[in-house]
Amino acid sequence: MTNVADTAPSSSQSGASRWRRLLRILGSAWELLRLRFAQTEIDLRVFGMLVALAIILLGFNVLSDGKFFVPNNMVTLAIHATSVAIIATGMVLIIVSRNIDLSVGSLTGFVAMSYALLMTDWLPNVMGIGPDFPFRWLIALGMGIGIGAAFGTVQGFIVAYIGVPSFVVTLGGLLSIRGAVWYLSNGAAVTGLDPTFQLLNGGAEGSIGGTLTWVVGIVGCIAVVALLANRRRQRRRFGFPVRPVWATIALGVLACAAILGLTYFANGNYWPAGLAHQYAVAHGITEPDGGLKISAGFPIPIMLLIGVTLVMTWMANRRSFGRYVYAFGGNPDAAELAGINTRWTIMKTFILMGVLCALSAAVASARLNGATLDIGVSYELYVIAAAVVGGTSFAGGIGTIPGAVLGAFVMASLKYGLSFLGVNSPGQNVAAGIVLILAVAFDAYTRRRGGRR
Amino acid sequence: MTSRRLAALLGVGVIAIAGCSANNNTGGSTGASTGASASTSSDCVVAVSLNNYQQPRWAAADKPNIQKVVEDAGGKYIDADANLSNEQQLTDVDTLISQGAKVLILLAQDTTAILPAVQKAHDAGIPVIAYDRLIEDPDILYITFDNVKVGEAEAKAVLDKVPTGNYVLIKGDPGDPNASTFLPQGWDNAGLKDKVASGDIKILNGPDGTFTDAWATETAQANMEAIIDKAKADGNTIDAILAENDSTALGVVGALTSKSYGFPPLSGQDGDKANLNNVALGKQYVDVWKNANELGKAAGQAALGLCDGKSMADLTIDIGASVAPTAGNSPTDFTTPGNKTVKSFILQPTPITADNLGDVMSAGWWVTKDDICTGVKASDPGGKACGL
Repeated sequence: MTNVADTAPSSSQSGASRWRRLLRILGSAWELLRLRFAQTEIDLRVFGMLVALAIILLGFNVLSDGKFFVPNNMVTLAIHATSVAIIATGMVLIIVSRNIDLSVGSLTGFVAMSYALLMTDWLPNVMGIGPDFPFRWLIALGMGIGIGAAFGTVQGFIVAYIGVPSFVVTLGGLLSIRGAVWYLSNGAAVTGLDPTFQLLNGGAEGSIGGTLTWVVGIVGCIAVVALLANRRRQRRRFGFPVRPVWATIALGVLACAAILGLTYFANGNYWPAGLAHQYAVAHGITEPDGGLKISAGFPIPIMLLIGVTLVMTWMANRRSFGRYVYAFGGNPDAAELAGINTRWTIMKTFILMGVLCALSAAVASARLNGATLDIGVSYELYVIAAAVVGGTSFAGGIGTIPGAVLGAFVMASLKYGLSFLGVNSPGQNVAAGIVLILAVAFDAYTRRRGGRR
Repeated sequence: MTSRRLAALLGVGVIAIAGCSANNNTGGSTGASTGASASTSSDCVVAVSLNNYQQPRWAAADKPNIQKVVEDAGGKYIDADANLSNEQQLTDVDTLISQGAKVLILLAQDTTAILPAVQKAHDAGIPVIAYDRLIEDPDILYITFDNVKVGEAEAKAVLDKVPTGNYVLIKGDPGDPNASTFLPQGWDNAGLKDKVASGDIKILNGPDGTFTDAWATETAQANMEAIIDKAKADGNTIDAILAENDSTALGVVGALTSKSYGFPPLSGQDGDKANLNNVALGKQYVDVWKNANELGKAAGQAALGLCDGKSMADLTIDIGASVAPTAGNSPTDFTTPGNKTVKSFILQPTPITADNLGDVMSAGWWVTKDDICTGVKASDPGGKACGL
């Protein structure tokens, strides 16, 4: 009796203490992991988004019996994300500086219709630039970018110098620019773009090919390593703390592996059989069993998106313009008192936005080989959602460009994945809305409790 | 001086109106509806409320034809554009009534949201014509193209071309009864349902196909690209595509182009510029064309008859034989989905393939031969129709 009474509490006591010890070990392991992670200086938010994206993609892969996660599908998904992602890079700066731009969808539609009309009507019939004129596509692209910048300038001027709230100005833009699209073509769809311009559609011929893709991958890898090394040297020079050596090496290896893995994956996307066959016949190549395999590699619109993301990130982080935008977003009065020309800075964000809309319109119209009245409808919502899912805060001052691009990919992968599984649009919208709220809620939660970061 | 001038003016007016009505009376044996007497025609105000001017056909085909029929008979034409808004359209109808409308032609933004406006017209003793789109009210005259027949013509053309194989179904906005009910019913009437049941045809994108929010081209393109990827992953080929209208068909062509898939037979409807061009280029097999010129004429003629005080049952119309109602030129009963019986003129659509593109070119349609033949080579399906 006494034995039993004695042993029972003592055994439970030792059990509890064992648990406590285990928890303590786990806790310190977690602490160590967190510390190590912090030492790599990887943006926790961007990392979280990558994980979320991976979960979404793998989830769809399981639901489709492994048919989803293949190069061909991922390339389509990436192209679907491109138009919104390009604009989202600019929306980050707009929202960071405590403004909003609701007119991006309408502006994209206007410029897309302008491209279509430029190449089918205005250039050949008004300016005498026929189909054989060299670099005709570039002339059209330049004019489109000019149109985008012009609209951006007008809206930016009204916001920055006249002081009308950007919500109102761009809401007006949303309505009136969309209306103006109608007047361009009387509502008719216009098709028939320049063949070179059409390469922006990212199809088999609108991709850079296997060899060039490897070149891009390897150059990217070298650039990352050089960047890491350079940053380390710079910090040491100015006596700033540097990452531990292991963290720098791990980061470099990881980034290189990711880039080269992506390159390998993209090269697993082959030309459609019919097109490869035509190519083989035209070039007198004897086809092996199972047809000729030509790697498509990175699509041109994705190259454009990568370029836009790099340039925008560089401008946001390394140029005074970008720093002014964040300074203004963090504290407008302080920025003003510090002598920043805040009005000119704000106006520039809108001009930049117009240019990005024109680039996005180029991809959208190339994909359709023309333009319809409804190109770009609701883009403003997808773009703002992408920026917000990517960690941009409406309070101003906070937001990253790679985050917004990732946000666009998260939203596009949901839409594409559900489409792939045969879920119709109402279901897609339900899912997109829930993910939007979840992402922002998660963000708010981590920000509130994680004062350390 | 002034009184003499006034008298002269009046005289000219009377002669003009008399001449006009005389013309109409002798012009067509069935032209009774336009044979309005001089006194009523001159104060016949035909009011048209369109839900939108966004598609080019309204401004280019429907409006001018209604206007011409009405004004040729000495009537007055007024209109308003509701810009896709239910509320705006209710306001528009109020305004048109206060402007002295004697007949109201309504292209409703919504089949039921428009009912308060219809009731106001009834209260004012104004007959209402539901133009192109049904209104759920027992006292209207319904003038439209047969949407079930449109679906039938789409599916028949494609099924004749591809009797067995893998099909993709691209539908319009899930909230539009044309997209979810009438057009698919036409597809089934043409034999799609039986062929699916017998296993001759397999639908690659689920039993119901894929809907396209707001009939948007970009959405249709994104959906179609996902369907092509899925087919590729499953090892299926796409043999034919039924798209409900031209804006979605245009998105399908965009997807097929960017995926370098080639162009399996594809349907559409509306007779839009880009799509008729695609028919000539061999990128779209059939475009079911609703000649809205004739629809406008029919509505104008019916409106004049109603102005004259005729009852809806006594109306007759006189339009081109190829689109005239199968039931003839007198109204027939039509049962609405809400189980109301209304009088109707239901016109017939014309399927256009590369072989009969000439029918559109010669009809005075807003899409010209130049539009249709842009970039067409002699070896393309439409080469012959384009005179190459």
